[in-house]
Amino acid sequence: MDEPELIRSAQKGDQRAFEQLVRLYDQNVLRLATNLLRSAEDANDIYQEAFLRVYKNLHTFRFDCSFHTWLYRIVSNLCLDALRKRKVRREESSLVETSEGYLDRMDTVEEPRADSDPERRLESKQVREKIQQVLGGLTPRERAVFEMRHYQGMRLRTIGELMGTSEEAAKNCLFRATQKMRAALGDFL
Amino acid sequence: MTCEDARKNLPLFLYGEMSFDEEELLEVHIDECDGCREALERERAMFAALDAAEVTPTAQALADARSELHRRLAGERRLGMERDRGLERTQTAGFWNKIREGFSIHFHFAPGLAQVAGAVAMLALGFLTARFTPGHLGGGMGQAGLVDPMTTSHVRYVEPMSTGRVRIVVDETRQRELSGRPTDEAIQRLLLTAAKDPSDAGLRVESVDLLKNNSQSAEIRKALVYSLEHDPNAGVRLKALDGLKQFAADPDTRTALTQVLLKDDNPGVRTQVIDLLVQQQHNDAMVGVLQELMEKEDNNYIRLRCQKILQEMNASAEMY
Repeated sequence: MDEPELIRSAQKGDQRAFEQLVRLYDQNVLRLATNLLRSAEDANDIYQEAFLRVYKNLHTFRFDCSFHTWLYRIVSNLCLDALRKRKVRREESSLVETSEGYLDRMDTVEEPRADSDPERRLESKQVREKIQQVLGGLTPRERAVFEMRHYQGMRLRTIGELMGTSEEAAKNCLFRATQKMRAALGDFL
Repeated sequence: MTCEDARKNLPLFLYGEMSFDEEELLEVHIDECDGCREALERERAMFAALDAAEVTPTAQALADARSELHRRLAGERRLGMERDRGLERTQTAGFWNKIREGFSIHFHFAPGLAQVAGAVAMLALGFLTARFTPGHLGGGMGQAGLVDPMTTSHVRYVEPMSTGRVRIVVDETRQRELSGRPTDEAIQRLLLTAAKDPSDAGLRVESVDLLKNNSQSAEIRKALVYSLEHDPNAGVRLKALDGLKQFAADPDTRTALTQVLLKDDNPGVRTQVIDLLVQQQHNDAMVGVLQELMEKEDNNYIRLRCQKILQEMNASAEMY
């Protein structure tokens, strides 16, 4: 079954078709949420909420836009809300208390490949930490646009469409995000 | 194009978001301007650093998310069905309430006659209902009552009789709601049955999740091993595995775990099993299994863990 057929079958209540539809996109949805929120737990919450909303509202999908755009509109709105909430209560520590003591939430996501040279490993660790810090300093919209363009490879036009804004506004967001990163990472590169 | 314009547009250039003409202008400028060429190289270095800082969810995180979603969707479907049943019940009840209300208007002023008139009216209604509904059996053989939405029926036996009548035996399944502690024997028995229900993976996940907290019981442990080895759903198998963690040193459980390591097609399950086995005291019986695993395993993480155990046991990673 191709995607439109899967959507129509899922709209008629075919559970298997719905799960197949989820499988087409869920890996990228989890990746986007993990990168945006930098927390496996929060990313899972976004994943669950996004696909439950899709499940409950799929009957309203009328093929006016692509399913990809429709789904990512839901995901990006949820991520933006989560980032805004996090801004309000300030960037919390990535340490969480568990029954086994304090754990770093970032331990639950896969680390980028480590360098074998200890000196370069230290440098790349410092750059990564700096990048984390800069990303945390971007506004939720700047961060979402940057993540979707850089890590998900989406076109600015698509990003604008799913964020309910113009391509030009998405471009300006990206300019601001990259400018901030350039300014902060200058000494490390 | 000025240097300021060129440098502002470098990210768009690297992302391929410029038009052909804009790109052409930028490339011409970069060819002629050393400063902007260096800026482009710095921008490339920044992009490479950003690429390296990407975090990807682990295979386990994806498997967990899928399993949780599956369970929650099953819950949504159940809720939907219950809502539909509730609606049916309300509609049925509404119909009978209207009839009752219709009678009560007349009986209100004549309480003495009410019972007699009511009985006659209900008899008449019952007669008419019985005549015109398919459930009518007539005579003394049985009565066609209202269809209870909480009951599902299955015709077990049909027999024509010499009198021209028909004898039918019907199995009825009635829904009941029970509640109790997960440690209650009756609840555990139902959970054990539900944990093997082939029609609903969500139900199995929830049941195994509840059972795993009481895995001290031999029967429950046996059920968890069964789920781990045979359940087609990875989410159920992971829950069962979770319940068996504390028994990883037990020989029977250990045998089951090694079999799962060789046979399970889900890398998330195999990863958890190998992690569990690594934590235990190694024994020689495992060498063959691990060597066999090294022969066929595609997942790098599992291979590395497997290799580590074999090294610790001074065993070769290959089979001879």
